Amino acid sequence: MNIQNILRKLRRELDWLTIVQLAISLSIIFIFLILPVFLLVVNSFYSGGTITFKWFERVLTSREYVSLEPLGGALFKIERTGAGVLLFIMEGYDYGIILNSILVALFVTIFASIIGLISALIIARYEFPGKNIFRILILVPLLATPFVNAFVVGKVLGRQGVLNFILRDILGLPYTFIVGGLVGIVIIQTLSFFPIIYLNMLSSLINIDPSMEEQAENLGARGFTLFRTITFPLSLPGLAAGATIVFIFSLEDLGAPIALKGAFADDLAGRVISYRIYQNIISTQGGILKIDPTTYALSVIMLLFAAIGFIAIKKYVSLKTYAMLSKGGRWSPRVRKLSWKGLILVYMFLVPVVIIASFPQAGVVLLAVTDWATSGAFPSTTTMKNLMALVEEPDIVRAIGNSLTYSAAAVFVIVLVGTSTAYVVARKRLPGIDILDIIVTIPIAVPGIIVAVGYFILFSQGIFSGTPFDIFENPGLLLIFSYTVRRLPFTARAVFAGLQQTHVSLEEASLSLGASRVQTFARIVIPLIAANIIGGGILSFVYCMSEVSTSITLASFRPEQGPITHYMSSIIGGGKVGVISYAASLGVLLMTAQIISMAVSNWILKQRVAFLGV
Amino acid sequence: MVNVRLDNVVKVFDKVIAADHITLTIKHGEFFTFLGPSGCGKTTTLRIIAGLEYPDEGRIYFDEEDVTEYPPYMRDTGMVFQNYALWPHMTVFDNIAYGLKIRRLPMNEIKERVYRVLDLVKLRGLENRYPTQLSGGQQQRVALARALIVKPKVLLLDEPLSNLDAKLRIEMREEIKRLQRELGITTIYVTHDQEEAMVISDRVAIMRQGRIMQIGHPREVYKRPANLFVASFMGRCTILKGIVRRSGEITELSVDGVKILGVPSATDMNIREGSLAVAILRPEEFELVKPHTPSNEFEGVVEWSAFTGPYTQLRVKVSDKIKILLDIDPDSQIKVGSTIKCYIPYSDTIILPFEEGREITYMEES
Ligand SMILES: Nc1ncnc2c1ncn2[C@@H]1O[C@H](COP(=O)(O)OP(=O)(O)OP(=O)(O)O)[C@@H](O)[C@H]1O
Ligand SMILES: [Mg+2]
Repeated sequence: MNIQNILRKLRRELDWLTIVQLAISLSIIFIFLILPVFLLVVNSFYSGGTITFKWFERVLTSREYVSLEPLGGALFKIERTGAGVLLFIMEGYDYGIILNSILVALFVTIFASIIGLISALIIARYEFPGKNIFRILILVPLLATPFVNAFVVGKVLGRQGVLNFILRDILGLPYTFIVGGLVGIVIIQTLSFFPIIYLNMLSSLINIDPSMEEQAENLGARGFTLFRTITFPLSLPGLAAGATIVFIFSLEDLGAPIALKGAFADDLAGRVISYRIYQNIISTQGGILKIDPTTYALSVIMLLFAAIGFIAIKKYVSLKTYAMLSKGGRWSPRVRKLSWKGLILVYMFLVPVVIIASFPQAGVVLLAVTDWATSGAFPSTTTMKNLMALVEEPDIVRAIGNSLTYSAAAVFVIVLVGTSTAYVVARKRLPGIDILDIIVTIPIAVPGIIVAVGYFILFSQGIFSGTPFDIFENPGLLLIFSYTVRRLPFTARAVFAGLQQTHVSLEEASLSLGASRVQTFARIVIPLIAANIIGGGILSFVYCMSEVSTSITLASFRPEQGPITHYMSSIIGGGKVGVISYAASLGVLLMTAQIISMAVSNWILKQRVAFLGV
Repeated sequence: MVNVRLDNVVKVFDKVIAADHITLTIKHGEFFTFLGPSGCGKTTTLRIIAGLEYPDEGRIYFDEEDVTEYPPYMRDTGMVFQNYALWPHMTVFDNIAYGLKIRRLPMNEIKERVYRVLDLVKLRGLENRYPTQLSGGQQQRVALARALIVKPKVLLLDEPLSNLDAKLRIEMREEIKRLQRELGITTIYVTHDQEEAMVISDRVAIMRQGRIMQIGHPREVYKRPANLFVASFMGRCTILKGIVRRSGEITELSVDGVKILGVPSATDMNIREGSLAVAILRPEEFELVKPHTPSNEFEGVVEWSAFTGPYTQLRVKVSDKIKILLDIDPDSQIKVGSTIKCYIPYSDTIILPFEEGREITYMEES
C-alpha cells in the first residue's frame, strides 16, 4: 500500500466521532497516568540538572533498604518477662524496606495461592451440603474495608488482643502471643487477597472442557496424576493471572501497614516500600518541606516489580479476559459427590478458612454496632451511636459527601473515556490500536501510590501550580482523575465485552440508511450496550469509593477535601482509638455499597463478575 | 434510480484477493445478481458498493458521480444484511422508521410512509412487536421494508433468503421480485444459489476468486457459458474431454473413440483442430427417443438410478471413460443393468476449450 492509500484509509477511519473520542481519552490518560509516571521515572534519574544513578545507589546500597543480615525482629522468638510470663513473638525479620516488601508480597502470593487453589478445586469439583453458603462466605474478604479489617486482626492477635485475653484472663495461662510486624501484614493480606486466586482458579476450572479430563481418565490417569498432568496445567493461566495481581496488590497495599503502625505502634509493620513512600510524601507537609529524592527511586523500584509481573502475565494470559469478566462454563462441569471421609476433610479445610477469612469483616461490623473499640477484649454493649455518626458527625458527613462527589464525577469521565476507548478498540482498524487497548488495561498493574507520587511531581510545581490542578490547593479535583484512570479498566472491559457480543452489521445497517457515525453511535450503539455501560460504571463507582492509595496521600495536603478512606486512615493511622468505631461505620457503609452494587451489576450484566480491586 | 458502475475495483484482505479488477455496469432499474461459490467475494463487492468497505484500487460511480470516497451514509443505498441486522431494542415500527427519522421528516409523514411500506411487505399489525418476536420470514420483510422506505437509489441484498426454509425462500424471492418490479429500483443481489439467481435476475455476474467470469442474462449464462467453471457452476452436467477433429459452427470431438458433435459456446473461442476441448452435456437435455433435430446418440448400461420426484436420474456407462448423467421421466421403468440408448441434440451440446488443471472426463455437479 502506498502512502496515499494509507492517508486515505486514515481519513476514512478517523471520522469526527473517532477523533473526538480519541482526543478526549488519550489526553486524559496521558495527563493523568502516563505523564506523571513518566516524570517519576525521569526524576528518579535526575539531580541538580544532571543524570545520576545516585538515588538508586543510595537506596540499593543502604542497609536501611536492603540488608542481607536481619536488622532486627524475629520470625519466632520466646522471651520471659519480669512477671514470669512467656512471650511468644512472631513478627518476621527486618531485611530492609525493599526486601521486606518483596518477601511479604512473595509469601502472601504463595499462601493466597495455596488457599485459593484448594478452595477452588473443592468448589469446582465436589458437591456437598452447604456448598452455596461456602461459595458466598469465601468471597467476603473481597469486601474492601480499608484499615479497619487490619485493625480487627490486630485487635484479635495483638498483645492486648482477644487471644491473649483468653489465654491470660480466662484460662489463666502465663503465655502471651504477639503477632504483628511483617507477619501481621502477611496474615492480613493473605486473608484479603486469596479470594482473587480462588475466583481466577474457579473460572479456569469451570471452563476446562470436561472431555479433556474424561479423555485422560479414559487413558488411565486418576486422582493426583490426573490433577498434575491435565487439570493443573490447564488452569495454570488462571492461577498465574491471579497470583500476579495478588503480588502487585500486596506490594502496593497501604491499609495493613498504616493500621498496624498507627493503631498498635508496630514499627516493623511500617518498614515496607509503600508505607515509606507514603510517609515521605505526607511529611512534606503540603510542600513546605522538600521531598526526600530517594522516594522516586523507591517508587521506580516498586513500579519495576509490578511491571515485571504485568509483562510476564501479559505474555502468558491476556489480562483482557481476566480483568473482571469471567463467564461461567458452557459445559455441565464435572462435579462429584463426596464420601463421608472426603466430606470431613473438606469441612476441616473450608470451615476454618471461611471463618478466619471473614472474621475481619465481621469484626468491622462488630466494631460499628458495639463498644468493642474501647471495651477491651470483648464488647460490653451494643450501640447505634457509631452508625448514627455517619449522618451526624460533620467531618464524616463531609468525607462521605466528598467521596460521593469524586466518585460520581470520576464515573462520569470513566464512562466517557471507557466507552470511547472500548468502541475505538473494538471497531476501528487503525494502526497501533492495540497499544490503546494495553494502555486502558495497564492501570490494574500500576500501584496507586506510584500514581500519587507522579501527581506529586507533576501538579506541585511548574505550569500547574496556582491553577485549579495545584495538588496543594485542590487535591480533590486530582482525586477525580486518579480514580478515573485507576478504575477505568472495569468499565472499559465491560463495554468491550458488550461490543463483542453486538454484531457490527447493526451499525452498518444504520450507516447505510443515512445515519452519520455520531447518530449511529447515539441511537444504535449506546442503547445496545447500555447494560454493559451501567454495569461497568457501577463497578467502577464502588471501587472509586474504596480507593485508598491516592486518596490518603493527596488528601493529606487538604484534609477537608478528603474522601472516606482518608478519614478512615487518619483515625486508625493516627491511633485515635476512641473514634475507631466511626471508621468501622464507614467500613460498614462501604461494604453495604459494594454488596448492593455487585448484586445490581451482576444482575444487569447477566453474568458472573469476578470483582477485584482494593 | 441510478446506474452503478464499477471500474477496475480491487480489494485485498491480507493476501486473499476478494475483488480482482472488477469492471461492470449495472443499469437503471435492473435486477442484477452476483453469483458464486462461498468466499468468492460477492459480499465484499456489495459492501464496496455500499461504502462499508473501501477498494484498494478502482472507482465506483453512481450515474456519473464518483462515490468511491463517500462514507456509507452519503450514498443513499438501502442494504439488507444476510443476518437482517434488525435492532433488538426497537420495535418493528421504529426499525422501519429509522431512516426517515434520521432524515428529520415530520412525524405524520413518517407514520404514513411506514404504514404504506408495511402494507407493501404485508406486515400490517406487527408494527409494535420487537424483532425477537417475529419469525424468520417476517424479520426478513422488516429488513426489506427498512431498506425500501428511504427510497434508496440502489437496493443491496446480501443473501437475504439464506436463513429461510426452502418453501419460504421461494415465496420470498417472488415477493422481492414483485416489489422490485413495482418500484423499478436498481437492485443488486448476492447469492450462491444458481437457481435463485436465474429465477430472480435480469442479469447475473458469475464470480470466482474475486474475478468476474461471465455477465449475462440467466439463459445466456446457462446455455452459453463462457468457460468450464461457469458451465459446471450453473447446473448439473457431464463434462467430457476430447480432441477436436473438426472445428466450425458444428464442432466434432473425439472422446475415447466416441464421436460427439456440438456447438462452441462462443465464436471467438480458441477451438482448433487437434486441440483439446470439452463437451458439456446437461442431463435434462437428453431424450430416450430419437428427436427430429440432428443429435448425438449414446448407448450404454445403466449403472445407477435415483428417483428424485420430478424426474429420475440415471448414470449410463457408455465406455470405460464415458459415463453420462441424464434425467428421465420418473414414471419410466428402466432398471439398473439394462442397456439403453439416449440422444442429445447437437445444438444443446456445448463445446468449450479445455482448461489446464481441470483433468476431468466425467463429472456431475449440482
Ligand atoms: N474483513 C475481512 N478480513 C479478511 N478477509 C476477509 C474479510 N472479509 C472477507 N474476507 C475474505 O475475502 C474473501 C471474500 O469474502 P466474501 O465475504 O466477499 O465472500 P462471499 O462471496 O460473500 O462468500 P459467502 O458466500 O460465504 O458469503 C474470503 O476469502 C474471505 O475470507
Ligand atoms: Mg457473503
